[in-house]
Amino acid sequence: MKKLLEISLGVVTSVGGFLEVGSMATAAQAGALFGFQLIWAIVLGTICIIFLVEMAGRFAAVSHHTIADGIRERFGFNAFLWPLLAVLLVNFLVLSAEIGGVAIAAELATGIGFQWWAFPVAFLAWLLLWKGTFGLIEKGVSMLGLITLCFVVAAVMLKPEWKQVAVGAVPSLPQHDTANYWFMAVSILGASISPYLFMFYSSGAVEDQWDKSYLGTNRAIAGLGMSFGGTISVAVLIVAALVLGAHGVNQVDDYNQLPLMLIPVFGFWGFVLFAASLGIACFGAALEVALQQAYLVAQGFGWTWGEDLKPRDDPGFSLVYTLTLFLAAVPIALGLDPLRLTIFSMALTAASLPLTVVPFLFLLNDERYVGQNRNGVISNAAVIFVIALGFVLAVVAIPLQIFGGT
Amino acid sequence: MQLLRDILDKQVVDREQVKIGKVDGLVAELRQGKPPRVVAVELGSIALARRLGARPGRWTARLAARLSGKKQARPHRIAWNKVRDIGVDIEFDIDVRRTKILAWQSWLRDHIVGRIPGA
Repeated sequence: MKKLLEISLGVVTSVGGFLEVGSMATAAQAGALFGFQLIWAIVLGTICIIFLVEMAGRFAAVSHHTIADGIRERFGFNAFLWPLLAVLLVNFLVLSAEIGGVAIAAELATGIGFQWWAFPVAFLAWLLLWKGTFGLIEKGVSMLGLITLCFVVAAVMLKPEWKQVAVGAVPSLPQHDTANYWFMAVSILGASISPYLFMFYSSGAVEDQWDKSYLGTNRAIAGLGMSFGGTISVAVLIVAALVLGAHGVNQVDDYNQLPLMLIPVFGFWGFVLFAASLGIACFGAALEVALQQAYLVAQGFGWTWGEDLKPRDDPGFSLVYTLTLFLAAVPIALGLDPLRLTIFSMALTAASLPLTVVPFLFLLNDERYVGQNRNGVISNAAVIFVIALGFVLAVVAIPLQIFGGT
Repeated sequence: MQLLRDILDKQVVDREQVKIGKVDGLVAELRQGKPPRVVAVELGSIALARRLGARPGRWTARLAARLSGKKQARPHRIAWNKVRDIGVDIEFDIDVRRTKILAWQSWLRDHIVGRIPGA
């Protein structure tokens, strides 16, 4: 019974972590322009992240190391520096985008321009990290994230042709806007396979003191949680395809177009639900990314870390998330368009994947860390696939950014 | 046990399990006619910078000397004979509060973090 509760909490948490400004924006854009055709990218990204999250949790439970600890210890400081810098940069951009997402939700709710909300949002997030515990952040905030299920309700109520949805789950070549199509596919994959997600997950497993008895729980949380998250993303895409696309809104280049999505289904409440979903999902993600930034630095350099400690007991750790949050608010406060920043940072995330995923291949096959619980053939094949995919994405993301980006 | 594989970059804790840092460097003593012997581990930014190259090492040492006095121009060392246990972490039989290793974290606590309400 306790395990069952643990699993359901974990699933809720991972849904909260999965769905953020990146997956919402990329799914909405893809649905508006290409209908159901890009559903396969969400499905593929979700399968990849299930494998990576399961491995991150298994590694933490068996070796009592976080992924960051493992990379530094196994590959040495000089090699660790590259993923460290890449993830710090990507996380910073993603955090900025998430703050932008909350700020837009606040603008939708109040009519006051999003720039003005950047620092208040960063301050509120900081206050929760400063005073709150890991349990509060992990469970409380992500529980609120369940509001995003309204997209699933809307998708079902719009009665899509499920056969068409299934066809979209199979990759196909675009009939128009070829460069844009592939750029969106890259962004969707970047939004689904986020390094912060699996790195945060392994830190959480160590914070919650997982051991080998959690391996089954871990597998269930990774599989169910990420699938639920992916389902909601697909629902966003379906709603965008049926509402925006059908009303001739093909090019989502302004966030003010997005709240229209839920209005045909829920009327005025659709607007409220959209603003609330966007705000809460992005706020939860902002908390996790800021925390992950501090985890990464503290674990990389061996400082004391832990969200349950008081800031005065881990000053270095607390200072990292404090600085990160306020610095990440600056671009939004200066008026940088959050939607463009989001799409850009998702493509960059995809390009950074090889640096963070290659270590999995070594760490999860090293008996000194995972003993009997090392990767089987299927898991290794999945990692190799993600690495290969990451390399392709890294090579194509930048040219596509230039030719196909919004 | 292999030094580079099993010791370097491992988490270091003191006898109270306080996290001190990572094993950023190893110090070995060359002896006439006998194999070299590990005498200490090094921690801190100078030791780390030296691993990137001689020049970053010198720059970091100079910066540390300017920021916190000539005594800080060398990496922190913990004698190898203080090792108590090597597991997930390496435990040394020392009390970190009696060393200068976490001086910068204490400075942060006293001058910045501790002054923010709720810390």
